[in-house]
Amino acid sequence: MDELAPPDSAMNGSLLSVRNLQTHFFSREGVVKAVDGVSFDIRPGEILGIAGESGCGKSVTSQSILRILPRNGKIVGGEILFQNDDRTIDLATEDADGRVLRDIRGKEIAMIFQEPMTAFSPVHTIGDQIIETIRIHQEVSKEEAHDQAVEMLRRVGMPNPARNIDEYTFNLSGGMRQRAMVALSLSCRPKLLIADEPTTAVDVTIQAQMLELLRDIQADLGMAIIMITHDLGVIAELTDRVMIMYLGKEVEHGTVEDVFHRPQHPYTRGLLASIPKMEPGRVEIEPIEGVVPNPYAMPSGCKFHTRCPDFIAGVCEKLDPPLTEVAKGHEVSCFLYGGKEGLE
Amino acid sequence: MRPPDSESRQMLLFILRRLIVMIPVTILISVIGFIIIQAPPGDFVSSYIAGLEAQGDIIEPELIDSLRARYGLGEPIYVQYFRWVSSFVEGDLGYSMIYREPVVDVIAQRLPSSFTISLLSLILVFAIGIPIGILSATKQYSLADYSFTVVGFLGVATPNFLLALVGLWLLFKWTGNVAIGLYSPEMQNAPFGLAKFLDLVGHIWLPALIVGTAGTAELIRTMRANLLDELPKQYVTVARARGVKPTKLLYKYPLRIAINPVISTVGWLLPVLVEGEVLVSLVLGLPTIAPVLLDSLLQQDMFLATSIIMILGILTLIGTLLSDILLAIVDPRIRGAV
Repeated sequence: MDELAPPDSAMNGSLLSVRNLQTHFFSREGVVKAVDGVSFDIRPGEILGIAGESGCGKSVTSQSILRILPRNGKIVGGEILFQNDDRTIDLATEDADGRVLRDIRGKEIAMIFQEPMTAFSPVHTIGDQIIETIRIHQEVSKEEAHDQAVEMLRRVGMPNPARNIDEYTFNLSGGMRQRAMVALSLSCRPKLLIADEPTTAVDVTIQAQMLELLRDIQADLGMAIIMITHDLGVIAELTDRVMIMYLGKEVEHGTVEDVFHRPQHPYTRGLLASIPKMEPGRVEIEPIEGVVPNPYAMPSGCKFHTRCPDFIAGVCEKLDPPLTEVAKGHEVSCFLYGGKEGLE
Repeated sequence: MRPPDSESRQMLLFILRRLIVMIPVTILISVIGFIIIQAPPGDFVSSYIAGLEAQGDIIEPELIDSLRARYGLGEPIYVQYFRWVSSFVEGDLGYSMIYREPVVDVIAQRLPSSFTISLLSLILVFAIGIPIGILSATKQYSLADYSFTVVGFLGVATPNFLLALVGLWLLFKWTGNVAIGLYSPEMQNAPFGLAKFLDLVGHIWLPALIVGTAGTAELIRTMRANLLDELPKQYVTVARARGVKPTKLLYKYPLRIAINPVISTVGWLLPVLVEGEVLVSLVLGLPTIAPVLLDSLLQQDMFLATSIIMILGILTLIGTLLSDILLAIVDPRIRGAV
């Protein structure tokens, strides 16, 4: 890290800068390149969405940032630069369970998971786990931590925080568990919150409450959020910018306005077309042709060429398309927009 | 912080309920135990007479009748049962026909050494099994895991009496001592003191280790499997993502849940150990209760056999109660459910 110039110039004001991240999974069947060269930045207080089908590497990206990958997953390349006060730390090269990362986890970067029921240990009260988190990262007494935990539970809208703190998850309703989980991850007021499919496992009313809660809390505490989801509706409702991923690669990246109203990549267009429309007289859904390829036998060239309606023979199956800027802050990795100059 | 009233009242109610359930179960054990002992054709008197006749003695029919009358063997089975139960409750366990002394005395001479060996085995099982199980799970598919797995399967597969014989032979080969009995011959009749205690310690580890082998091997497997189930769960990842230290994380979260099934087996482990020591005790010549149970069953010494079975049954019940209480303390879900 020492070779970096003053952090601000390297980070360009970003809170987190992921550069060419490659995370692979190793098993007896072979290597899965779950994340294969992904780059993005997020500024303080910004909300970034990462979207894509299951298996596209969006969750692995988030697990890589916090270095909580399963045992057979390894970061094999790239940088994850995090601006911690006036230091820039490369999370990708730190020891996964070392001091530096433990101090960042839960305090600077926190995470919300998919299943609120299983996010808490079933044999400890929710308060026990919130207080534990506070006391890992702050030098406060038990009583002080308890008060902070109650305050956080109130802030996320628990009906009776002073009592709820001593409850176990199996005593709470689905919506309350969601809130408790948000309180747990926000207990140390992180600068960055990663929400990994937080609305996938719950019904729509709780989903709506969750999004409202996140928006309120974000306005209140001002942290940056990375929202990981396969649900484009959630992205449209909550985020400022969005990155679309397909098979470990970034395919399109831009403001929600740009990507949703002027989608450029054939995959993004396909995704948007596959959302059922509610307008009268139009009920057809246009699914993307084909199926997601076997992760052990990835297509050559552009990963999407096997399903792409705009496939350019002799190009797409041979070369990896580079990211091309089609408008300011709107990037697409597709040969339709250039990048095939290197080829014939 | 937690409302203490409702928690401890819930716990008290839980224990009370379990105690009440124990009453009919105890009665059931006594009935079934008594019937099973009585089930084989004949009784102690007939096998006693058969033994005497085999030696060429001629038995007077009057003697037979007086023996039968003395033990109440001619009565219907329910009369015999009630007679036995009422004296059992008063602490009179009847008379052993093999040993020709009160059952209480026979058991009192042997139960302490049985208990000591079983308890020591139990401690060894836990002290060895749990740490190795944890190691095997956290270092899954490592050299250590594979080695312990092999040793574990060998431990389960090798019969205890064979281990006892091998242990006996090895000890003799290396030290020249014959590790038979719980005390050295010169200490056998010495008053119990420090010297005798040290002598006991020198002898007891071998049987305790052998009796515990299968249990240890099994516990390693259970502990490993339970922990492997818990480790990939989301609350473990969440705790990691909150910055909890790896060692604290392991002990506070997955281990605490993985150990529950182990706690619930403590209850019936004790009688299993008593049972498991039959052959070991025979091979090593230990004055424990297990060979007595075998003898009394073979020779239809009904009072002795029924009493031992009752004691083992009650031990199981107490053990189960204790492990249930422990489980309720450890796991709030159980407290809430019962």
